[in-house]
Amino acid sequence: MGRAEYKVEGGKLIKVQLTAADGKIRRIKITGDFFLHPEEVIEDIENALEGQILDEHELSSLIENVMKNKQAVSLGVSPEDFARCIIMAGEKNG
Amino acid sequence: MDEKWRLLDTGLNDAFYNMALDEAIAIARSKNLVPNTLRFFRWSPSAVSIGYFQSMEEEVDIKACDDLGINYVRRRTGGGAVYHDREGELTYSIIVNEDHRLISRDFQETYRTLCSGLVSGLRRLGVPAEFKPINDIVAQGKKISGNAQTRGMNVVHQHGTILRKVNPTLMFKVLKVPSEKIRDKLIRSVEERVTSINTVLGREVSFKELTDALINGFEDSFGIELAPGSITDFEEELAQRLKVEKYASREWNFRR
Repeated sequence: MGRAEYKVEGGKLIKVQLTAADGKIRRIKITGDFFLHPEEVIEDIENALEGQILDEHELSSLIENVMKNKQAVSLGVSPEDFARCIIMAGEKNG
Repeated sequence: MDEKWRLLDTGLNDAFYNMALDEAIAIARSKNLVPNTLRFFRWSPSAVSIGYFQSMEEEVDIKACDDLGINYVRRRTGGGAVYHDREGELTYSIIVNEDHRLISRDFQETYRTLCSGLVSGLRRLGVPAEFKPINDIVAQGKKISGNAQTRGMNVVHQHGTILRKVNPTLMFKVLKVPSEKIRDKLIRSVEERVTSINTVLGREVSFKELTDALINGFEDSFGIELAPGSITDFEEELAQRLKVEKYASREWNFRR
């Protein structure tokens, strides 16, 4: 299990908790004090992340695409910030 | 003639009903059963609310809350954990149609516009309030109000907290701290970062005086007239149902 926290400069806090195997995300939970509209999209993001390779750029694009498809917007955090925190949590997975 | 909104002061209620009523009003507004609404409310017993995306176990000291008789509830809005003290804190909600002239597609812009009512009200009291992006209002550089917004069903719902007096020691009894060693440091840091109306003005401001000033502030900055009204049967019944089925449920409160 890996956990990480990432406070976005001038923005909000992201916390990620994940399990990974063979460089891929198995289970992931993203929490924090950010804003994402519609809120339920967080579950679409988490579902889309499961099975993905821990690559910061790829994860960022994936999150951005999920948000685009759901016409979602975030405030205080960006897809890049989510991806960065996921990678940090992945590095602590062990 | 000024545009009329409904004004509600629902007084003291528990956390689950408070959050359920907010959602019930939003649903009623989406069905055009009620006008745009400004609601004031307080929390009894005192409570902690967490943002939609937060983890209850990670943010809240459940045992301390249970021991102190403090409720804990997940909000339908994002943002951070808030301690709502029965005597120290006033909460408001704005429920307005998304196509209203005050609402922008841009969330940040809408926070600024809707918070302008609070800023105006606080200034009437003599508090030098200013909006601070993303979603705060500050006075003398310290936070005095936090706000959170959600949208759905063509309705914008923004609620927020206004600190009348602040109790950092109790705040950190109910909110989790990373370690006991830094509890005192966190309490001091809250004292440095957070303020209250009573602190800024150096006198006791009653809830009545505070709500009166805010009502004037909202009317003035929104260009509306707030007409005291009451909750409809539809809203009350829906709130009772949402309280039991959603906001008081373990499934909702511990879902993340």
